[in-house]
Amino acid sequence: MNKYVRSVIAGVLGATMIAGVATADDVQLYHDKGFWSEQLQAVGDASAEATGVRIVENPYATAEQYKAFIQASIASGDAPQMFTWWTGQTFTELTQTGKIAKLNDVWADMVASGEYAESAADLFTVDGDIYAVPLLLARWVMLYNKPLFAELGIEEPTTWDELMAAAETVKAAGHTPFNATVHEGWRGFIWFQELMLRTDPEAYLGLHNGTVAYDSEPVRRAFEMWVDMYDKGYFTDPRSNEEIEDFAGGSAAMYLMGEWVVGSLAASGLETSDLGAFIVPNVDPDAPSAVIVEGGPVVISAAAKDNPDVMAALKFFSSVDGANAWAEASGNYMGNLKADAPNPIIAKINSDMTEAGTATYNRWWEATPPDLQGEFVAELNRFMLDPTMDTAEDVMARMQALNAEYWADQ
Amino acid sequence: MTVALDTLDFDAIARRERRLQQSKWWTLAVAFLISLIWLIPFYYLAISVFKTQQEYAAKAPLALPDGLWPIVGNAVEAWTQAKMGFGMLNSAFYGLVGAGLAVFFAAMAAYGLTRLDFRRKNLWFMVIFAGTVFPFQMYLIPLFFFYQDWGILNTHFGMILFYTAICIPFPTLVLKNFMNGLSREMDEAARMDGASEFTVFLRIILPNAWGPMTATFLLQFTWIWNDLLFSTVLGNRPETRSIMNALQVFQGSYASAGPNIVLTAALIASLPSIILFFVLRRHFMEGMRVTSL
Amino acid sequence: MNGREHSDAELLKRIDLKAVERRDRRRQGRNFLVALAFMSPALLLVGVLLLVPVVYNIYLGFTRWRKFSGIDEFAGVENYARMLSNPFFGEALFNTAIWVVASIVFPILIGLAMALLFRGVRFENTFKNIIFIPRILAPTAVGVIWYYVYAPDGLLNRGLSVFSGDPVDIGWLYDSATVTPAIIATFVWQTVGLVMVLVLLGLSAIPKDPLEAAKIDGASKVQVFQHIVLPLLLPTLVMVTILSVLAGFTVFDLLWVMGISYPGQRSLSLTVYMYFEAFQKGAWAYGSAVAVVIGLVVLCVTWIQAVLQQRVDKMTR
Repeated sequence: MNKYVRSVIAGVLGATMIAGVATADDVQLYHDKGFWSEQLQAVGDASAEATGVRIVENPYATAEQYKAFIQASIASGDAPQMFTWWTGQTFTELTQTGKIAKLNDVWADMVASGEYAESAADLFTVDGDIYAVPLLLARWVMLYNKPLFAELGIEEPTTWDELMAAAETVKAAGHTPFNATVHEGWRGFIWFQELMLRTDPEAYLGLHNGTVAYDSEPVRRAFEMWVDMYDKGYFTDPRSNEEIEDFAGGSAAMYLMGEWVVGSLAASGLETSDLGAFIVPNVDPDAPSAVIVEGGPVVISAAAKDNPDVMAALKFFSSVDGANAWAEASGNYMGNLKADAPNPIIAKINSDMTEAGTATYNRWWEATPPDLQGEFVAELNRFMLDPTMDTAEDVMARMQALNAEYWADQ
Repeated sequence: MTVALDTLDFDAIARRERRLQQSKWWTLAVAFLISLIWLIPFYYLAISVFKTQQEYAAKAPLALPDGLWPIVGNAVEAWTQAKMGFGMLNSAFYGLVGAGLAVFFAAMAAYGLTRLDFRRKNLWFMVIFAGTVFPFQMYLIPLFFFYQDWGILNTHFGMILFYTAICIPFPTLVLKNFMNGLSREMDEAARMDGASEFTVFLRIILPNAWGPMTATFLLQFTWIWNDLLFSTVLGNRPETRSIMNALQVFQGSYASAGPNIVLTAALIASLPSIILFFVLRRHFMEGMRVTSL
Repeated sequence: MNGREHSDAELLKRIDLKAVERRDRRRQGRNFLVALAFMSPALLLVGVLLLVPVVYNIYLGFTRWRKFSGIDEFAGVENYARMLSNPFFGEALFNTAIWVVASIVFPILIGLAMALLFRGVRFENTFKNIIFIPRILAPTAVGVIWYYVYAPDGLLNRGLSVFSGDPVDIGWLYDSATVTPAIIATFVWQTVGLVMVLVLLGLSAIPKDPLEAAKIDGASKVQVFQHIVLPLLLPTLVMVTILSVLAGFTVFDLLWVMGISYPGQRSLSLTVYMYFEAFQKGAWAYGSAVAVVIGLVVLCVTWIQAVLQQRVDKMTR
């Protein structure tokens, strides 16, 4: 309430931003992840203790408004000191404004200390320069309900055929194999990207630079598999508005999602000890192991590079202490090798990846041109609500029409 | 006039009467049925807020709840999860101050337009009234950038500023028409006594215009209370969000809460306007009439 | 009377007319400044926050916008040409047209029918109030309630299951065939009460004499309605129709709340489409152009209103 009164007063007086009263030693961290407000502030408070510089988190309600806010700030001359962004095309666009600081020197220290692998900077590298430190690094893996797997005598699948056999076993036992919905409107791409990656990783990459059409054979094959799986009743009702709660409540045996969902599942009542995870195997058993990753970057403005407070905050954020504070508060991982893995799932995927030498692929959402993301994911959602080959053809045709138009302009 | 009794067919009259009665009975039944259909969503809302999540999922949607107590838990959960405290206070603040200022400024403008004699009055009125001609969509993008530029995006000040502006044109129209009808004798007399124009406005015209000012204030207050679009674009942060925005965000995104909780939030958000309506029905009806003219 | 005029003329002769004129002009000038002072808060707020944005919006519609650098260059009608080739714009336009037609037909037909039905019926006021109540609720709250009425396991499907005996599982708000009609039904549920009240007001203003005369002449109910009631009610109906069209055409809240789980939400109407393009995709210039199109349609409707109103006024006079 105090905060409210303060902000009303600040507003009435015409004060500019009312993001809490910032003191000289505070560094503002803007982001659009309102659901992690408290968790980010926990890291910010830890930073105050360790370095004397408090990071004050500053959430924007929707991703759309947030993007507009950052874009307009940069257009009008000054970028916020420190803020989160997305990887992929939109990251490239951001760095090309010249308003974002290069962090090659910071990364040199991060790698030299043995805390980060050199490849961890790949997602944040544009034309050889590194522009961000990670907010999170989440692999998109298949989570499964351990007690249910045990009850049905299913082992973690290591090939695509085993995965499908496991699904069949689950189905035969009266359960649903996979949990997947269109909840919140952005989830449509999850199975699309997975099926593309598992059947044709080259085509998956090609989709994102305009060299592979959205109505080409590789895409059609993925849709055919998807339709087939829907026909066999492998998926839950896509119309549920409680996807995470559904899975926590035992709606399905498996759940394809980013690792960050583990914390939410625990909050909804599914103990992490009852949860297993594996990297989805490729359809071609001889193809090299691969996994989708989602990287969340934190960037600082070029002007803030000379600000010792901002640099101290940034370095704390990616340090072992910062990573641990973040992991403890939110269950998120940012790829710091010396920090504790936030949960056993992440530890297990870490070791699986090391063992198999797994290659990483950027998530479809980030890899797709921002101008196309919204329309495409809406089309994919449309398919999930009516998973027939007819709809798939229609969806493919419409996606390709927009895709062709976009790349023709580039 | 004489009645030819022998030509009157009493049976026919009785039949007609009966038919009339029947048709009345028939229309009453239809009216009753339609009202019932209209009320079902309200009934559904009313019983859902008394159900626990399990009850809501398990029971028939129109079945009565087991008890009345779950509403307390639902309300607490809705209130805290949707951050409705902020929303309610914000909307009340925007509504009271925004609509209040708007009606006051409109009254001032109406005074200038009706009580003072100068040329091209209509043109000046049209400038103010032009604010209602355009669809809201034409304000959104420029305002978003202006606010960004002026540093008042997502501030209470910015929200009040806009709500005041958008609520000025309509009351100006109403109050201009009203003040045109007020006799000029009183203000002339006051001017003779040496009262300044502002005193005349404040002491003589305003007290007389209380009725239409209240009516338009209520209309504009309700408009601000109900607004979702501008709060979404210009004030989308938990601290500055309007109640409707808070409700929409609660229903739309990370809502892990069940329908019973979200419906409770919808009910809470609607309570003030429902109460206002029943307490001040006369003024509202007047306002409706005013809007339609 | 005559004596007074006489003395006025004498008085005028004594006054220097030029001086009066001068004083009058000065007073007008002073009056104008005072009036301007009174109007200034309204003029300033409306000007800066409503009129300047509209002008700027029209300008933006003719520019090309780069995401991080702002306005790049003048682009002519490029944005408008882009609309024609965008399938979502076409859909949004189509759905908007459906809204326009629906908000002409349904509120008027249903509101008129209800007004005629309820008039003179016992408990008239109670019925009227019931139909009017939804109008008090905010569209956002109404949208939330109906969102759950239409949910896959919601009131409507469960009700239909009970009536038909088979489980009904229609995704009302998920299917392109049902989503717009479903939201229009909610719109009608909320707005028809006002239409009915306004029609009743209009009906009560109709003089009783011609009605009685027609009845005595043996005119049937339908004839009375067609030849006497309807023409007299026409001005009310025109006004109500225009109100309804403008409301239906610019509906946003209901679509925003109820369309949230529909994949094609962006194409539910031009208002939603504009929001998506500008505030989700950052296509600011293009979004501005869409807003201009919305503005043009609103101006057209307002213009039609003015013309109709004039015709009706002439007819009734």
